[in-house]
Amino acid sequence: MKPSDKGERLNRREFLSTAAAAGVAAAALTNTEAAAAQEAGKPAAAAAPPTAAQLAMEYDDPVGYSAAEVDDYFVKHPGSDFMVDCIKALDIDYITTNPGSSFRGIHESIVNYGGNSRPELLTCPHEEQAVAMAHGYAKVAGKPLAMLAHGTVGFQHAAMAVYNAWCDRVPIVILGGNHFDATERRAGVEWAHSAQDAATVVKDYVKWDDAPHSLQHFAESMMRAYKIAMTPPMGPVVVMIDGHLQEAEVGNQSLRIPAMSPTQPPVGDANAVAEAARWLVEAEAPVIAADRMAHDQRGIDRLVELAEVLQAPVVNLRGRLNFPNTHHLSQGGGELGRADVILGLEVNDPWSLVNSLPDRVHRVPQRRGRPDTRVISIGVNDLFIKSNYQNFQRYFAADLSIAGDAQATLPALIEAVKAQMSRARSRTNAERKQRWQESHAKRRAASLEAARYAWDASPVSTARLYMELWQLVKDRDWAMVSEDRQQSQWANRLWPMEKAYQFIGGSGGAGVGYGAPAAVGGALAHRAEGRLAINVQRDGDMMYVPGVFWTAAHHRIPLLTVTHNNRGYHQEFMHLQRMASRRQRGMDGSSHVGNMLSDPEPDLAKIAAGMGCWSAGPITAPRDVGPAIKRALDVVDNGEPAFVDVVCQPR
Amino acid sequence: MTVLHTSPWTIGALLLLLFGLNTAFAQDPAAPASDGKELYLSYQCWQCHGYEGQGGAAARLAGKQYPYAAFARFVRHPNLMPAYPPNLLSDEKLRRIFDYVRSIPEPPPLEDIPALRENK
Repeated sequence: MKPSDKGERLNRREFLSTAAAAGVAAAALTNTEAAAAQEAGKPAAAAAPPTAAQLAMEYDDPVGYSAAEVDDYFVKHPGSDFMVDCIKALDIDYITTNPGSSFRGIHESIVNYGGNSRPELLTCPHEEQAVAMAHGYAKVAGKPLAMLAHGTVGFQHAAMAVYNAWCDRVPIVILGGNHFDATERRAGVEWAHSAQDAATVVKDYVKWDDAPHSLQHFAESMMRAYKIAMTPPMGPVVVMIDGHLQEAEVGNQSLRIPAMSPTQPPVGDANAVAEAARWLVEAEAPVIAADRMAHDQRGIDRLVELAEVLQAPVVNLRGRLNFPNTHHLSQGGGELGRADVILGLEVNDPWSLVNSLPDRVHRVPQRRGRPDTRVISIGVNDLFIKSNYQNFQRYFAADLSIAGDAQATLPALIEAVKAQMSRARSRTNAERKQRWQESHAKRRAASLEAARYAWDASPVSTARLYMELWQLVKDRDWAMVSEDRQQSQWANRLWPMEKAYQFIGGSGGAGVGYGAPAAVGGALAHRAEGRLAINVQRDGDMMYVPGVFWTAAHHRIPLLTVTHNNRGYHQEFMHLQRMASRRQRGMDGSSHVGNMLSDPEPDLAKIAAGMGCWSAGPITAPRDVGPAIKRALDVVDNGEPAFVDVVCQPR
Repeated sequence: MTVLHTSPWTIGALLLLLFGLNTAFAQDPAAPASDGKELYLSYQCWQCHGYEGQGGAAARLAGKQYPYAAFARFVRHPNLMPAYPPNLLSDEKLRRIFDYVRSIPEPPPLEDIPALRENK
């Protein structure tokens, strides 16, 4: 059904969907308001009941068939239509998928019943790509999209990207096709693509999963899944969708879509927050470290307020943007070593705030903070943890550990700090401010000075790459959808970053292959806001799922991609060199083995062009970078992806 | 938790020793800087320090005015980077790498680079 036809074909389940959507809209406000709107089984007042004509249309039978033939040939109201209503009720805009027979029922419902609109299917040549797109999208949009995975094979392809999302605390709703009833499986592939528990492969790194046995069970599990995914610590969830449930007649089941009432994020205990405030106010050298803290701009604004009240430097660990790098209190990691009190906000690895473990033959911990440094930790990491995968980092006994979402806890902490600030303490802020302003200015000058070196080099320096980009995007509403950790953090060192959407952190699990699809997913969310999405693409990462550039071209997702093409896996070069050094052999040239992407050098521009993207390159001369990006921007301004391959220095 | 300490006397003794080595391995005037660049590349210095010594994963080498002794100490007894022992990278080769690093020309001044000047 085309979206424009929907008005003529409204049936009972669309009525239910409309009613439930109204319920979700109410639920998005506050818990109290949601509770008022969520009276079980009752549609919201805004939804009108179906007319007689609509009801009659719903029960039209094909002519020329006996009742037995109708029963054998046709399904009037497949279960997957109801599933689509549930997805619509959650205001999910897109579903990424690589098509598979285990979910052919809902595939058809999304297209012909749901009008392929909200959710719209996005075709992906690989499940890893489909999940990573959802990962990037959620960090920009602030809400999940759904990913549809083929049972067994789809989950196995998707697994790496699910792990990244888990580590990065990002919500994704994964729907998995499966055939539970062995007696209903066709011989061959349907058996190979079925499992007792298809989600097993990702169970160690999703927050919750379920395998509903009825449509009503599905509806309730979808609401629960969404709610769990969005409650800090956020994360991916899985709901399996049985092939039989999708394809069979709903019949006379009485189905309803419950409202989804979002859980308010947990806030730190008031007494503990007051104690934290006292420590911070009394500290001579308080330092704030923020990692996956700011969910949105409110988080940044709150952290600015707290830092200014204390005139305390902020060390951004950059799991998210967290703090404007233009602010005078934005300082480097060296401040952690001088702090007497450190406030860690959603820090994934608080142990490393004051310790390090050098990569030597004997791994002996070193204290890098002062011996008297006290650490306050506010975050949700302790609220949900699993055992097998060790992304939770080394145990650290914080001096004051507060369980609560840091962004949600900041207002209470700010008030507590303000209440405890004495006049004498406040008077020290002028001197502190001047010191940090001077330090910030020095850091800025040092970054510009460092960027001069290799300015005219070929391969192109990564600083030059970022500044050529900056000159062309600085007057636009731009947003980075890639991270710059492997490029000497030049974006952070050279570009002013102040808005939450301008930087979304990294992969979480350091699983290569995240970069390109997450960038396309982020660009999809930025498209709705009319922003220019910028992806500085690593060559090694691109080789994992280059098909995502086809998805970007096919679905008209505007994205400017410029490569940091260093022809290899350079981090691994250094690891191999370190091993050779320890063993005193091969230091003069063996480290390229297994680490270079050469002979032949992948022609990334041709790959992108082959996927339907406008492309240029490979570019080796720095003077050619700017003009190529300028041409690419013209393409992006027309709503298409564009790709510029630049051969660069290693980092 | 173990805290590592390095005695200032130890550091001083090492520097003295290395400054002493500096005189023992004077530069071969016949060795061109390009030879040092070949060594810089073949010994993979560029992986972390960049083809032009501009830095990246490790510190910038270009434009730094440190003596050979300090350079050699960092290479032989590093804190973070892999150690390059003399049997794998001779003092003579190390010296040629040093000469190359010192010969890397200064980049244009900041004022001559519009993209940097305009964004000060």
